Amino acid sequence: MKRDVHFILNGRPVTFSVEPRTTLLRALREYGVTSVKRGCEEGECGTCTVVIDDLAQKSCMVLALEAEGKSVLTVEGLVGPKGELHPIQQAFVDEGAIQCGFCTPGMIMSAYAFLRKNPDPTEEDIRVALAGNLCRCTGYIPIFRAVQKAAAVMRELGHIPGRAR
Amino acid sequence: MKQTVTKNGVGAWTERKYDVEKAAGTLAFTDDLRFGPELLHARAVRSTVAHGEILSIDFSEALKVKGVVKVVTGKDFVHRFGLYLMDRTPMAIGKVRYMGEPVALVIAESEEAAEEGMLKVTAKYRELPPIFDPVKAATDNSVLVHPELETYDHVDFITPFPGTNIGNWFRIRRGDVDKAFSEAEYIVEEAVNCPQIAHGFLEPHCCICREEPATGDLTIWSTAQSAFALRDIVAKGLKYPLSKIRVIAPPIGGGFGGKAGMTVEALCLAGAMNPDVRGRPVKLHIPREEVLLTSWVRQAYVAKIKLGIDKDGKIIAIRNTFYFDTGISAEYGANPVRSAGYSSTGCYYIPNVWTDSYAVYTNKPFGGAYRGFGLPELMGAMEVVIDIAARKVGMDPIEFRLKNILKPGLPTCTGMPMNNHALDTIVGKVVDRIKLNEKEPATRKGWVRGKGFALALKAPAMPADAASSAIVKILGDGTVELLAATMDMGQGAYTAYSQMVSEELGIPIEKIRCPYPDTQSHPYDWQTVASRSCWSMGMAVKRAASDARQKLLALYAEYWQVEPESITIEHGIVKCRKKGKAEPIDEHIQSGFPMPDGNYKGGPVIGTGSFVPPDVIYPDAETGQSPKSVVHFTVGAVGIDVEVDPATGAVEVNKVSAGYDVGKAISPMNVRGQIQGGTVQGISAGLMEGMYYDEHGRLLTPDFTDYKIATALDVPPDLDAFWEETPEELSPYGNRGVGEHSMISPAPAMDNALFDALGIRIHSYPLGRERVYKAIQAKKKGETDLWEYPYALEQSYKNAIKEWK
Repeated sequence: MKRDVHFILNGRPVTFSVEPRTTLLRALREYGVTSVKRGCEEGECGTCTVVIDDLAQKSCMVLALEAEGKSVLTVEGLVGPKGELHPIQQAFVDEGAIQCGFCTPGMIMSAYAFLRKNPDPTEEDIRVALAGNLCRCTGYIPIFRAVQKAAAVMRELGHIPGRAR
Repeated sequence: MKQTVTKNGVGAWTERKYDVEKAAGTLAFTDDLRFGPELLHARAVRSTVAHGEILSIDFSEALKVKGVVKVVTGKDFVHRFGLYLMDRTPMAIGKVRYMGEPVALVIAESEEAAEEGMLKVTAKYRELPPIFDPVKAATDNSVLVHPELETYDHVDFITPFPGTNIGNWFRIRRGDVDKAFSEAEYIVEEAVNCPQIAHGFLEPHCCICREEPATGDLTIWSTAQSAFALRDIVAKGLKYPLSKIRVIAPPIGGGFGGKAGMTVEALCLAGAMNPDVRGRPVKLHIPREEVLLTSWVRQAYVAKIKLGIDKDGKIIAIRNTFYFDTGISAEYGANPVRSAGYSSTGCYYIPNVWTDSYAVYTNKPFGGAYRGFGLPELMGAMEVVIDIAARKVGMDPIEFRLKNILKPGLPTCTGMPMNNHALDTIVGKVVDRIKLNEKEPATRKGWVRGKGFALALKAPAMPADAASSAIVKILGDGTVELLAATMDMGQGAYTAYSQMVSEELGIPIEKIRCPYPDTQSHPYDWQTVASRSCWSMGMAVKRAASDARQKLLALYAEYWQVEPESITIEHGIVKCRKKGKAEPIDEHIQSGFPMPDGNYKGGPVIGTGSFVPPDVIYPDAETGQSPKSVVHFTVGAVGIDVEVDPATGAVEVNKVSAGYDVGKAISPMNVRGQIQGGTVQGISAGLMEGMYYDEHGRLLTPDFTDYKIATALDVPPDLDAFWEETPEELSPYGNRGVGEHSMISPAPAMDNALFDALGIRIHSYPLGRERVYKAIQAKKKGETDLWEYPYALEQSYKNAIKEWK
């Protein structure tokens, strides 16, 4: 039996009608937010990572109903009103941190939540923060570089665009 | 005179195509496509025994599940498929050959209903004895995985042996190895093994098929590396005309060979082409824990290599025996076996060669294409054996390698002359950068440090007639659409092609677009595999762009009444300095030019280019010899600096240096990406990856919890990726393939580094913590070698060694 769940999706209030067993991953994809990828649906790969109230979470491990009253941010929500990429997204493009692109949305969301907490990280900090997001293409090295670059850009800006509510 | 000017041509560091969409999360992969409420979902029911006759399949309860539309079984869809050997059916027919093989397909209105239905299907089997040991399967025919092998169609260049479990036997016979061994000062005979490994792409296989009910036309949307090869395989299997099959390949989330050829599409077609389903699109999304049971993985192998070496340290003879465990299908796996075979002297010149490379059927999930395609397997053994040999001969391993190196012009094991390369330079750089000749203390307290080295080599492994074609359309505003049916799965092919088009047309790279493959719009390309694309498709793209340029110049020449040679295209502006003309490309390029005589000429400017390697000749079936067996070899080297904790067996990599001779880096950003990414994938495979089974053949490592791949924490702090540029003669810009090569030799370099650190030789991959710990304990007991071969006859290869004194 379906139930309604109300939450803020990328800054907009939404209501989904879902089965109690439906995961947030499947609900978001069904709704059309397909940046959250189905890499494993077992909480292992991180491709479905979203930011829920400032915390990076694997949306395959969260029931849609648990999002009630919360703010859910996906990588689409980081793109500015004129289509401009968020500094983290831009850094991923600039540094060659993207190959196939399947891990990229989840990786960026983990980096986003992490940089909000730690705006001036060491490479070791970044490695630990991204350890739950697998990437098979890049060898991670350009990703570390991109996160560091994004951090520097945002420190210069003095704030983090696209702040989760 | 060069008539084009651009900033982002060949060799430029430039932004990659489609990265903006990927970062924004808006690029639609196959699973992201929407088909509306007509869409049905399929889920496979899988066998619970490794080998057995199917007595019955009962799906009556499944049909009672709300939303289940249809259940089909193997008998409903009797078609054989295969790229090189048609030994594969999408579902078991009469008999199952591995645990996890699909026996039925449940089709339902939702994924959830399909899953519920799947759980309600029961099958009964009469169990048959299974065979898992590849050496036993190759040498003992009491259990046959494919008794019907004789009836399977196959291409001419593979040689299956009906009545055995040999799916392909590739041979090299050159010189007199027995005589050379008898004259050798040193004999070194060693064996190495490695389990199956997984591609670990993050996007599981996904496919949607629809049959047009009135015409029978098929449309397939799939996570396919090779839209055209998929179309060919499906057409041959179904005996369908090519023109009635359309394959659309959206962006894929990693391939590494695991989405080459045909993977899950026939299974999906078994649903979509069923008379009760026809007309509705059917989607088959493979859950992560079924990926390794559904399509191929990298073959396991047991390699035995015997070297004869003269008193000066020259290798004079080699005898190779390679058993590739190809599981229940060699349809694709037959070819890496061949690829390893025709490269089987590695990076060395050896006059007398005897090689037997076998694809062996066993009752396991099946092996096939994987980044490196036979060469990580070959070099995983060869570079370890060379290291052992150097120490036996009493030479420095680098000196020993350089003494025997396959210099340009020397014959490879198939007799073709080696192409130009700068391997000497690369070896020198790796040795320097890793300080290979310097024994350094460990940086961690109580740990031990070691350094290792390995060479790499690979040719594109493909049929002699693997062709490519491309179309360049100059649009009415001076932008360009390039149709090149390579799958850009992250390697950056579309960026490299756009750089080529920009180079040839003088049009800025931002104005060039390369859509993803669709067999209905794109011209033919064989496959996106073999590190062949920038070379083979590169030839076609360059020709197509040049063709478009010639057409454009001819039209402007007549329009302006000047010589075509006096015209240039600079950043999208067509110029004739002599006449003082400078105009951006406009709608004349698609609508025609009003010529001075009053007539219109031209119409849409479309450049075309086709390419097939002109001079490849299949190796002779008996001797393996050929004047030109492959198009070219790319060579390189890897050096690794590691530390080991003797208390736990933990291994940490301090530094890796890896260099390859790429001929010419078309797109340096992507070349660096391929070397870095492949090196980490190679380290991951060498240190932690392996597929394991219980005694009944049940896969114990189906997902990322049990099948570990490198995370951000496993990446070496220092990874030096570099390349040399010795141009290839027949090549668009001198470039050679490089996509796979970085994956080939990190594992043997690691093995050699661990020997340097620990003084004991490990003969079995992966070099995981547990195994390294065992090696440390064995060393304490005075052992010099550690083997862990999972099967009884494989174990006999322990006896291969120690023929020397």
